[in-house]
Parts: sequence; structure tokens; C-alpha cells
Amino acid sequence: MSAASAASAAVEVLGGIALAPLLPGLVQHWKARLQGRRGPTPLQPYRELRRLWGKSMVDPEGAGPVYRLAPAVVAAALAGGVLLVPVAGAAPTLGLGHDALVLLGLLALARFAVAAAAWDVSNGFSLMGASRDLMLSVFVEATFVLSLAVGLLVAGTTDLRGVVAGTAGAGVWGNPALALGTVAFAFVAIAETGRQPVDSPDTHLELTMIHEGPLLEYAGRDLAYLHWAAAARHWLVLVLAAQVFLPHPRGVWAQLAVLPVTLVALCAALAVVETLLAKMRVLLVPRLLAVGAAAALLGIAAWIAGSA
Amino acid sequence: MTGALLVAGLSATAFGGALGVWRRAFSAGLWLQAAGAAGIAIAGFWALGSQTSLGEGFTSSFVPRFGVDGLSGLFLGILGLIAAPALVFSTRYLRPSLRGRAVGALTALFVLALALVLCARDPLTFLAGWESMTLVPAVVILVSRGADRRARQTVFDYLAVTHLGGAATWVAILLLAHAGAIGGHATIASGSGLQTAIALSALVGMGTKAGVMPLHVWLPRAHPIAPSPVSALMSGVMLKVALYGLVRVLVEWDGVLPVWFGVLVLAVGALSAVGGVVYALFEHDLKRLLALHSIENVGIIVLGIGACLVLRARGADLWAAFALAAALLHCVNHAVFKALLFLGAGAFERALGSLEIDRLGGLLRRMPWSGGAFLVGAAAIAGLPPLNGFASEWLTLQALLHVPRYGDVADGVAGALALAALAATAALAVFCFVKVVGLVLLGAPRTPAAAAAEEPPLPLRAALVFLALACVALGVAPGVLFGALVSLAPWPAAAGTHLGLHVPGTGSLPAAWIAVVLVGLTGALVLLRGRRRAAPAPTWASGQLVEPALRWTSAGFTKSLRLVLEAVLRPEREISSKTRGGVLQEVAYSGSVPHLIEARLYRPVERAAFRAAVHARRLQTGSVGTYVVYLIGLVIVLLAAVRLGVIG
Repeated sequence: MSAASAASAAVEVLGGIALAPLLPGLVQHWKARLQGRRGPTPLQPYRELRRLWGKSMVDPEGAGPVYRLAPAVVAAALAGGVLLVPVAGAAPTLGLGHDALVLLGLLALARFAVAAAAWDVSNGFSLMGASRDLMLSVFVEATFVLSLAVGLLVAGTTDLRGVVAGTAGAGVWGNPALALGTVAFAFVAIAETGRQPVDSPDTHLELTMIHEGPLLEYAGRDLAYLHWAAAARHWLVLVLAAQVFLPHPRGVWAQLAVLPVTLVALCAALAVVETLLAKMRVLLVPRLLAVGAAAALLGIAAWIAGSA
Repeated sequence: MTGALLVAGLSATAFGGALGVWRRAFSAGLWLQAAGAAGIAIAGFWALGSQTSLGEGFTSSFVPRFGVDGLSGLFLGILGLIAAPALVFSTRYLRPSLRGRAVGALTALFVLALALVLCARDPLTFLAGWESMTLVPAVVILVSRGADRRARQTVFDYLAVTHLGGAATWVAILLLAHAGAIGGHATIASGSGLQTAIALSALVGMGTKAGVMPLHVWLPRAHPIAPSPVSALMSGVMLKVALYGLVRVLVEWDGVLPVWFGVLVLAVGALSAVGGVVYALFEHDLKRLLALHSIENVGIIVLGIGACLVLRARGADLWAAFALAAALLHCVNHAVFKALLFLGAGAFERALGSLEIDRLGGLLRRMPWSGGAFLVGAAAIAGLPPLNGFASEWLTLQALLHVPRYGDVADGVAGALALAALAATAALAVFCFVKVVGLVLLGAPRTPAAAAAEEPPLPLRAALVFLALACVALGVAPGVLFGALVSLAPWPAAAGTHLGLHVPGTGSLPAAWIAVVLVGLTGALVLLRGRRRAAPAPTWASGQLVEPALRWTSAGFTKSLRLVLEAVLRPEREISSKTRGGVLQEVAYSGSVPHLIEARLYRPVERAAFRAAVHARRLQTGSVGTYVVYLIGLVIVLLAAVRLGVIG
């Protein structure tokens, strides 16, 4: 194992697990600033996690093994995703390989576990959130695959390490296919991370919850796992955006050096989007995602036309 | 050796079927049948693994011939793998009454009919097997349902649709036999009219039997009303045997098909996949829901076949072989988890007497073995790692991704659309099976019957657990079959055999490692969380008590999607209220999602057929005089035709 690949493995694992909560923290911090509030520090998610870790748990009546196991399954699936998404063009295979489409399976597993837990306690608000989440996932997943397909076709492989290497350089802005893929992935990123205008992470009103809804009954360490999983989702999506769809240098060390800058910039962009746009009606979100899917399809057509 | 085992297995099945007719040997007969099925499974998979051909080869002449090759071996393996647990399940599921014994004997006949299609090496035997595999389940349904009028109507629909469609199967096979192309002995020119005619009629005829949309109408009606072990064989194996025919004709015998035909197959597959799962979501009867899911999974398999055809036409032979392997792998996987789910539904029906999905609940606690196995099957059909459904869906996604890579703009975009459709299908399947698991297994029991449900006897549990373990094994080691499946392609292609799926040009699927990492991480996180000391608390419902009336139903959970797809699905709903003296007495609500293909395509055809029949009936007066007039008229017309030189 070369030094570069050891370093990228370290960034991948430590960054994904330890730094992930910083990303939603940054978004919240900047959002507050943009709205003229002082807001919490970017470290607030860590404080939340510490507080939750020390708390005792509450079990709703009738909760069974599925409810109790779900947070661990969700966190394990997301941790698997962290091992899977490489932060640079060279990373050792950490058991799971680096295939882009496996990531979709892991995210689906997490979604299944959360929604099944909602059924186990039969909480109406949890089920409402789960139902909306699953409905949106249909459109998110189609757009996700199409936007990834652009990157995969450009790089000629579905191995994400190869994709990171294959889309490196300033090619993103010169390649119309990749540019359209980037547009599509922007919609996916907002939907997957549960940010406005798709979902409002700050809401305390049960009726408007999507991703927060199924977490209503959880407390203590279970809730800590689920909060970490939500943060890890930010990490996965933003790392993919940075290393596939946004310009990134060719060398592995340079990729590792530029990644933090891009991630911080993406958090700032999410904060701006969240400040500028109000939450949409949930039934209109599929149309938004359809725009993304259409852009990705155009991108694929452009790639075929360009390569022929 | 393999041949001897196969013959022994088939004879044991036949003998067991005959033995079970005798009341005192009922159970022994079914066990013997199960042993025979296990023999068929071993022989089939052995023939696949060793890639040997037994018996005679294919012929286009009408002489009965029998043999087995790799592809037949694979489907014989599926047949045995599903039939064995289904028959073990039957030993206690069926009662040794007259009806039960008849169903037991007919099950043996069904297995033999399916094996006949797979072992047939000439057009006549193939078609005979094809027809009997359609007829036997119809008899099973009639026998098991007795005088049920609706069941008879359904059987009539089933036979009508499959026979009308089945005519196209005859056309395809007879055209192939006429051209001498069965077994690939003569090559059919690419792009010729003959090739197109064969391909289209095979797609219609065999597609009808496989339940491909829009030819699927019989499937969601006929599958649920059969006894559960027979439903498992119908969904798990019979549909696969129809797809076996499709693969034989389209991939092996009909030459290299043009690109447009591959795109047509992709379109049909995408429609079946999305349509099947969307209608399954809005279904409230568990077995009907599972039957609709069979349409979805057949769609996924057809997507793999379509990708294979397009890639082959584009000259990407290696990926065409991978696409075919994806389709065949999904055949195996779907057979396993769908049989598991149908048998599980049978166990629930046995315990509760009803399969209305809103009247179950909490069965995981009451029936931990059956419920746990059903949960594994549900996760597998939803395509979740590390189970088997995920492995073959992953491979199919990869194959579809390679369609744009090697194609032109038009077929490339079609491939991309099919890719998006498959991704959406996977998400919809998660949605649907979360609903099923939640309503059937989780939460509190919704009826007194569900609260009193009890675990079924050992043979039923054993069959379910065996199939659940097969789901896990095929999910952890999908690569074991992959190498053999790739080499089934009739053009040279090869892939190494590993535990996971290692495919060039992809990040590969190290399935066993994924399972280890996921299970290990989950275990570690549970340990890290430490001992749970949790205070019990009521579920939060904004301060209200959670009453049974507040419980979520199937319709409520899927409402968000119904609203989004309103423009496409045209759901119907009706709210009627009764008031007396200005006071509201009662409110009734009913809603349904009608099946558009039935309402818009079949109903008009059906009505037109009835109208035509009314007119045609006037010809049939019953008086001899009129018939004599017809005969004289016919003779005059024939004479005139000869005179004019049209005939003769």
C-alpha cells in the first residue's frame, strides 16, 4: 500500500466517521448568519451527539426487535457507504469494493430499516414521514442513477476510484455531458441530504416532517446513531459531488488537499440555497427531480453523440 | 450419472403423485415427490455446472426427443429447488381429503409437465409440454376451489388469455421448425421478415405465459386463488419456464436480432417492472400483491434479456453474455424468494383464515420462525444487500448501463431510460415491502385472529426456513453461479467463478464481504450501544391515545404516491354521507386504483367481442334448411373461385 492510498484510506474512514457531523453543523451555522442570526457553532452536532449518548432511552409501547435493531442497521449501512465512497482516485478496497451501484443498495437498506421501525411502533407521524420519504425515494433513485450514469459513462467504469480519476481535471466545464450530470446531481444532493426546498431539517412540526418523522420516537444512543447517519449521508453525497461532478485535480495528494475546500464550499452553497428557497409542497418535489432526470438523460445523449 | 439421477427424480415424483392418491399413503407420497424434486434439482444444477449435454440434441423434425443441456439444467435446477420445499410444505398444508389428494397428485403432474418443456428436444414435445403446463394449474384451481363461481370465471379468463396468446407460441415454434432452425442448425438471416415474425410471435406468445405487461391480465387473478404451494410453483417456476422458451427463441435460435427489437423488449420489460410494482403497492390482498410482484420481477428479467439483445446487435458480445447471466440469475433468485413469500402467505392464511393485508399485524411476535423467514424474503425481493435480490438487480443495472456505452443515441437513451425505470422499480419494491412487512409482521395485531395466530407445524416452518437460507446463500455467494451462467450464452464468452460478482469494467460486488461488513458493523454498534435500559412510554400522537381507529392502513401509507401519480393512475374514490335531520349519521369512503390496461385495453376488446358474438349467433339458427343454404352458397363460391382461377 502506497503512502497516497494509505492517506486516502485514513481520510475516507476518519473523515467519514468523525468529520461528517461537521457538515450539517456548517450548513446550520452559515444559514443562521445569512438570516441575520448568530446561530449555533458548527460544532453543535457533536454536542448533540454527546448529550444524546449520555441520555437513557425510551421505548414506545409495543416496540419489537425490528424497532430496536433499526438504528444500528441504519448506522451500519451508512458506515458501509463511508467505506465505499472513495475520497480520492487511489484507495484500498475496504471490504466493500467501490462500486457506485452498491451505494444505492446500502441507502435502500437504511430506508427500509427506518420505515419498518416506524411500522413497528405504529406512530402515525413516523409513518407519514416514512411514506413521504419512500415516495420521494422512487424519483430520487431514478435521478441518482441517471446522474451517476453520466459520470460512469465518461469514466468508462462503475468503480468509483476509476470515476474519480476519469473525471479529474478541469474537464467538467468543457464536457457538456458532465455539466448536465452535475445539474442533475445537484437536485439529488438536496433531496438525499433532506434540505430545503425538499425537506426542512429545522422543522418541529410533525405534519411537515419527512426525514425527521420516523425518528420521533427514538431517544438516547439510538437517536445518536440516527443523527450520525443523517450527517454521514451529507458526507457521502457531498464527497461524490466534489470528486465526480465538480472540478478536482488529477494527483491523489492534490485531490486530498482540495477536498476540504470543496466540501466547505458545498456546505456554504447548501446554506445559501436553503436561505433563498422556501420548502416546496411535497407533492411537487417529483417534478423538480424530473427536471434533474431530464438533464441527466440529455447528458447521456450528449455523451453518446460526442463519443460516436 | 446425472441422467440417471434426473430420471430417478422424475420417476419418484410420478410415483409419489400416484401413491398420494391412496389416503393412507398421502403424506408418504408427498415426501416421495419432494425427494424426487430434490433429485431433479441436484441433477439440473449438476448439468449446469458441468456444462454437459445429456440425451439427444435439438431437432426441427416432429419426432419425440428428450435431452438436457446447460440451460435446461439451470431451469430444472430451479424447478427442483422450488418444488422440494413446496411439496414438504404440502405434506401438512394439504389435508388428506379427496380434494387434497387430488391437488397432491396434480402437483406431481404439474412438476412433470414443467420438466417436459425443459427436456423436450423437438417442436412437438415442446408444444405438448407447453400446453399441459398451462392446463394443469387450471385443473388444480378448479379442483381446490370446488363450486366457487368466481374461481371458475377466473380460470376461464386464464385459459382464454393464455391460449389466445399461446397461439403465437405455436406460430413461432412452427416457423422455426419449418426453417429448420430449432437448435440453431440453420441460421436465420438478420433483419429478414421471417426473423421478425418469429421474434414478435415469440414475444407475444411466451410473453403472455410469462405475464409480461400488457399481456399479464390473467396472472394477478389466477395465481392467488391456487393453493399456496401451487401458487409458489406457478410464480416461481412456471413463469420462469415461459422465460426459458423466450431465451431459447430470442437468444439462441433466431439469429442476431435487430436493435429495434431489443429496444422493444427493453420497453416491454420496463413497463412490466414499473407497472407490476405500482399496482402491487395499491393492492390489499397479500397473495394478489405477490402475484403482481411477479409481473415486476418478470419485467426485470425481461430487461436483462432486452439488454442482452441490444448489446448483441451492437457487437458487445461479452456484455451481452453478462446481461443474459443477469436475467438468468434473477430467474433463480426470484424463484426462491417468491416461493418463500407465497408459502409464507400460505402459512399465514392457514393460521388466520384471511389474507386481507389490513387485518393481520404483529405476526413476527406470534410466529417467529415463519415471520422471520417471511421478513428475509421481503428484504430479498426489495433488493436489499446482502440478500440475493440485490445481487441480480445490481448485475441487471450494470448490463443496462452498458447499453448506452455501446449503442447509438436512440438505443442508448432507451437503455438509460430502462436503467432509470429499474432504479425506480427497486425503490418502489422497497416501498411496497415495507408496507407488507409493517402491516403483516410488525406492530400490534389488528384482529383477534391475528392475536391468536400460532406457528405452523414443523414441515411448514422447515420449508420456509430452507428457502430463507437459500436467499441468504445466493445473496452472499452469487458468483458461484455467475461463471456457469455466462457460458450459457451461445456465443463464446467466459467469466471466472468467484464468491462475489467480479465483472470487468465495474467496481464489482464482493457480496460475501458486504455481508460480513454489514453484519459485523451492526453487531458492533449494538454492542457499543450497551445494555438498553429503556423506560416504556406510550407512542406519541400529539397527546392523543393511540386507538385502533388511528392505525395506519395500506391505503394511507401509499397515499403520497397515489397523489403524485394521480394523472397516470386515475384512482377512483367515493365519499358518501348520510344525514338525518341535518345531523350526519354515517360517512362511507371507498377508493380503488383501477388497472388501466384492463379498463382501457381489455374491456373494449371484450365488449366488441361480445357484440360480434351477438351478430355471429344469427348465423347459428339451428334449422337444417339454413345450413343447407350455407352449404350450397359455399359450393357456389368455391366453384366461382375455381372458375376465376383464384384457387385450384
